[in-house]
Amino acid sequence: MHREQFENALFRAGYLAILVFMLLPLAVVVVTSFAESGNLAFPPESYSLVHYRAFFEQTRWLSAFDNSLLVGVGTTIVATTLGVTAAFGHEIDDGRAGQVLAPLVLVPLLIPPIILGISMRVYFVRAGLEASYLSIVLAHTLWATPLVYFVMRSVFSRFDWQLLDAAKDLGAGPIRSFVYAVLPNVKHGIFVGALLAFIISLQEFVMALFLSSRSTETIPVVAWTQIRQSLDPMVSVVSTFLIVISLIAIVIATIATNLDWLSKQLS
Amino acid sequence: MSEITLSGLEKRYGDTLAVEDVSVTIDDGELLCLLGPSGSGKSTTLRMLAGLETPTDGEIHIGDEDVTDRPAYERTTATVFQDWALFPHKTVLENVAFGLKMQGTGKDERRERAKEMLERVRMGEYADDDPMNLSGGQKQRVALARALAVNPDVLLLDEPLSNLDKRLSEDMQIELREIHEELEETFVHVTHDQDEAFTLADRIGIMADGSLVQVGEPNEVYENPKNRFIEAFLGDTNFVAGEVERTTAESVHVETELGREVVLPRTGDADDADALTEGESVALSLRPEVLSIEPADAATSDGESDRTQPVRTDGDTTNAVVGTVENVLYRGSTIRYSVAVEDTSVFVERTVADSGAFDAGDEIRISWDGADVLAFRDDGSRVDL
Amino acid sequence: MSGTHSSSALPAPIARLWESLRERSRSKRALLLMAPLLVFELLLFVAPFLILLRISLTDGSQDLRYAPGTWSISGYGEVFTTDVLLNAITYSIKLGLLATAITVVIATFYAYAIWRSEGLVKSALLFSVILPLLTTLVIKTYAFMPLLSPNGTLNDVLLSLNLISEPIQFVPGTVGVVVGQVYIVLPYAVLAIYSVLATMDWGIVEAARDLGASRPRSVLEVVVPQAMPGIIVATVISFAWSVGAYAAPGLLGDGQNKARAFALVVEEQLLTNLQWEVATAYAVVMLLLMVVSIVLLTATLNYFGGEFEYA
Repeated sequence: MHREQFENALFRAGYLAILVFMLLPLAVVVVTSFAESGNLAFPPESYSLVHYRAFFEQTRWLSAFDNSLLVGVGTTIVATTLGVTAAFGHEIDDGRAGQVLAPLVLVPLLIPPIILGISMRVYFVRAGLEASYLSIVLAHTLWATPLVYFVMRSVFSRFDWQLLDAAKDLGAGPIRSFVYAVLPNVKHGIFVGALLAFIISLQEFVMALFLSSRSTETIPVVAWTQIRQSLDPMVSVVSTFLIVISLIAIVIATIATNLDWLSKQLS
Repeated sequence: MSEITLSGLEKRYGDTLAVEDVSVTIDDGELLCLLGPSGSGKSTTLRMLAGLETPTDGEIHIGDEDVTDRPAYERTTATVFQDWALFPHKTVLENVAFGLKMQGTGKDERRERAKEMLERVRMGEYADDDPMNLSGGQKQRVALARALAVNPDVLLLDEPLSNLDKRLSEDMQIELREIHEELEETFVHVTHDQDEAFTLADRIGIMADGSLVQVGEPNEVYENPKNRFIEAFLGDTNFVAGEVERTTAESVHVETELGREVVLPRTGDADDADALTEGESVALSLRPEVLSIEPADAATSDGESDRTQPVRTDGDTTNAVVGTVENVLYRGSTIRYSVAVEDTSVFVERTVADSGAFDAGDEIRISWDGADVLAFRDDGSRVDL
Repeated sequence: MSGTHSSSALPAPIARLWESLRERSRSKRALLLMAPLLVFELLLFVAPFLILLRISLTDGSQDLRYAPGTWSISGYGEVFTTDVLLNAITYSIKLGLLATAITVVIATFYAYAIWRSEGLVKSALLFSVILPLLTTLVIKTYAFMPLLSPNGTLNDVLLSLNLISEPIQFVPGTVGVVVGQVYIVLPYAVLAIYSVLATMDWGIVEAARDLGASRPRSVLEVVVPQAMPGIIVATVISFAWSVGAYAAPGLLGDGQNKARAFALVVEEQLLTNLQWEVATAYAVVMLLLMVVSIVLLTATLNYFGGEFEYA
């Protein structure tokens, strides 16, 4: 009995320590964003909103925000369209194309972004798309599509395809049957997939670093260049915004589905 | 006019042949049951009728129209699916009104029509419910109403009762029968349950291994099965192996594993070409309902030597054997006895109401009229006698 | 009947073609739906890789980033004869192995804890994984700077507890790089293992305990082998991303000669030295080494049980 209690305590202490390790760095970022001084220290000596005020005066950050938004929306649209249609096709017929497709979309996720970044940079320079928004959107799509695709595969595999037959049988053509019978039942999945695609684009930085210029740089890219020059709580402010956006996304996704399901989709 | 003609219908998936050369004409207003074990191709045939599968070969006509390549949404058929396939995100009423909505019927009219249909299947009070909260039987009714609401020329039912418990399923069979009589529309009903098929059908089509083996009225199919598969599939029977010993103008004599010669009267149906020849092996089907039983001692007045063979005049085709009861199985209204006869075992039944019961170890005499016995060749085909 | 009604009027070869198309009509529609993504992957993933490979086989050039049209293996020669490049490969692989080992052990424990917990605790633990997962690498690495630097929080705490007499330089340094990299890949590893555990029946662990296995023993004997597919995925992901790590070594490393990661060196070759044939050859070599290591790693883990499956 004594030993069991000891084991229990050890087990609990173990996972609580990891819990702290997982969340502490993010907490540090958020807390330091409210520091008054210009030096990065945790915990800060005094708190103020001075860096938040400064943020809204810096055009570089603001235009980076616009760029991130533009790239994020672009990635979401392309990745969701590609991922949903392909997953739908794969569900209809698990033929050879599907067998090729599944590993093919997965492999880019396992290749270090630095190598993808290099190969894409070289490629886009040749294609004349260097430093364009499009090049970043396409690179991010390469990473976001697999997630949409696998989320949708899982959603479609749980969908009762007899409903599609029933709609057709009752007179709905290919498009109307999809809109009336399939879409209402998978829209949560599509929404979560799209949300993930947006977040991935918003947060991705290695490929963006290799593919953007001063005029197309995204938030993480600006943050990176700033940090390499000097440690500035301004980065904490931006980071806090990004963390809050992810937080909101998780809450929305959790409402649309549930946390446990979401976790399994992300792996 | 909604007579349906299937001719040479075939469906292949890659190398597997799901449906092979199915040809049948379904009359206007008829209720045809496609009966067969799972994997026999009956559901695929129905789906081709619905337009949910495209045949690899063959044609489908509904009325005078060739609809072979017409997709489901352009056909005048409506289907009740096995799992009912109710749209979970729509209310019961919206489900029933869906087909009318697709046809472009105005909102008020389709709601009215849907309400009417729900009333007809006694589900009117559930109009605004979530279909997922209904019981199996209720879902079944809604699915039926939804299919009927589009006023189809042909109603297709894909094992709609297989997910219901036995009693509910039997109630629904009667209701379906009533709705069919009322509507006078063509119904095609797929099932693997022979009782369901016999209750419902005007005609039964029996499918096996992708082929339509026999089509006919229920009693015809039962009494005059085309092959051994159908005889075995439609209810329990005893197959007894034997060999033709001799044939005469009036009868065929078969030496069987029952240790006795069984005499089958000739009916004159047989051509010379397919008549049985001596030495040919056959399987005889002895259905429990043609076998009568009595205690063995009641019939042994003829003495020990020939106690199982009654005195017989020419043309008399009564057969009998004596065996020992091995096993007694109470099955509700009937009692089934498993009886050891020579090297084999035969089961017989009697109703509980019949007087006198037997116990294991009792000797009983089993007799039957040879005219009630069907014979099958090794390849499964029925022997015309 | 020979042929279908729709093909009976057509010449035989066309009829046959029509027939096979009709048979595949379902696959055709599916293919049509999958085609955009297939084309996308070919254009944006396969093609860039082939071009990368091609450039790695060109001759060096003085005035251009590479010399188009030429064939040479000088880029590869450069990779295998330059100490800086070789050292970076060694450093990155060491970093990969170390970060992976730490990550997989912690991830297995944490995934097990999530699997065993319920209600609010479970939600909190899952949340603690998902939030960092959806946070950019930049923030994740940046956050360790105020924590681990010589005048950072950890040193302050250790000094005030008199555990150390002088600040330790975790950052910049390899300790910081490893910690940062583990933090980056841990969420992915945890979820890979958790998603496998979640399909498992707790009953088999109880059965093991019923048969006399102690609690830690029952986990080792029953849970770990069952979770092996997830552990393998976690290993592959952790290793691949740690070997190619860019943010953690870039921000938390000290950048000294023998402690520079592959990603930083290849970037320099590409963007500063403008030696594309060397940079691409270097990337190809690294990728091949990675693939070989991953195959070896999975084979080793498979040997201990479990089959590799795609996540």
